[in-house]
Amino acid sequence: MTLLRSAVFALISFCLIALPAHAQQGAEEMVRRMAAEVTAEVRKNPALADSQTQLAALVERRLMPHFDFERITQLAMGRNWAKATPAEQRQVVAEFSKLLVRTYSNALASLKDLDVQVRDSRKNGNDVTVRTQMIGRPKPVAIDYSLSSGGSGWRVYDVTVEGLSLVTTYRDDFNGLVSSSGVPGLIAALKQKNGK
Amino acid sequence: MNRNARAALLATTLLASVSLSTLGHAQAVNDPIEPINRGFFALNEVIDTIIVKPIATIYNTVLPKPVRTGVSNVFGNLDDVFIGANHALQGRGKDAANSFGRVVLNTTFGIGGIVDLASMNGMPKGEGDFGQTLGVWGVGAGPYIVLPVLGPSNARDTVGRAARVASDPRTYMPDAWSYSLTGAEFLQIKADNLENMNLIDSSSLDKYGFTRSLYMQRRDALVKSGKEAASAP
Repeated sequence: MTLLRSAVFALISFCLIALPAHAQQGAEEMVRRMAAEVTAEVRKNPALADSQTQLAALVERRLMPHFDFERITQLAMGRNWAKATPAEQRQVVAEFSKLLVRTYSNALASLKDLDVQVRDSRKNGNDVTVRTQMIGRPKPVAIDYSLSSGGSGWRVYDVTVEGLSLVTTYRDDFNGLVSSSGVPGLIAALKQKNGK
Repeated sequence: MNRNARAALLATTLLASVSLSTLGHAQAVNDPIEPINRGFFALNEVIDTIIVKPIATIYNTVLPKPVRTGVSNVFGNLDDVFIGANHALQGRGKDAANSFGRVVLNTTFGIGGIVDLASMNGMPKGEGDFGQTLGVWGVGAGPYIVLPVLGPSNARDTVGRAARVASDPRTYMPDAWSYSLTGAEFLQIKADNLENMNLIDSSSLDKYGFTRSLYMQRRDALVKSGKEAASAP
């Protein structure tokens, strides 16, 4: 009986201790896999880096499924999110994800010989920040991925490059626009940017 | 530069920065003079578009990459002196030794700084400036300021920049040398950053807000990393 009790106790404490660590590993694993997939494709086809459309396709196929665009948009809009109607919210999410795909492909083009190493990760409530380093430039570039876990596994809701957060930057970018021309103004600006 | 004009410029920037840093603290984005800043930002955009970018593009096209790297390294070598000085001021002994060691190695075996031998030998270039030092010492960033021609800054970093100008040997050279060397470095930095400039153009909706955010975040990150390095054993 005591044996059983201690076995159960051991099992429970194992779960309590191991689960958070396991969660963090899951996030790290996801980032590692995502980076490895992109790197492998670029290595296989170096001409890729010179073609904007092919890069965009790569970003869309390999990175975007792991990004939580609704959360990214919600965070980037801050208190303006609540001011938008559900239809407007959907529009902003759709247009903003298009812009991000392009931004990401442009950024990838300038980072040709990329090799990503996962350094470590930190837990922050239910979220995990995975710190990585992009090697192969004059200086390594620090890129942190913030992830949260939901129905469809770990998904990225912010990317911080050398201290520059995607969400924070777009929050400041959107804010001025929304206060001067409202959510419709933001949607119009996004559409215009994507139309180019 | 004429000495009186220089002193006046220095005094004005200092005064302006100090009086500005007492304004508008409570906001999330500290930009109390946004309308003026936007005006200078628009002016700088025009200068960038019609003068700086075209010259920087020609510079990048005409000069072969090794030459551009050499030019960049020579200015970088001078900058390492200031980086090292700031590491020392921040109490970062190891980093200061690295930066000064870089200057010695690059100036001698790196032929006056043309070759960045230090980076190839495990002495990577550091980051440090007077604005960051003030930040590490506990001075807040203060309000955001867009300087004419020079671009994004804040009250603290404007003081830092003035300190740099005052301590830079180029300031005390004859005018023609002073202007052309400073201009050449400005151009070289712009040319190095053409890709980034284009990336901001294609990613931002309100370029002013976007740039301001990038600047503030970048400076915060530098001050934070400076503090971490200073408290490291």
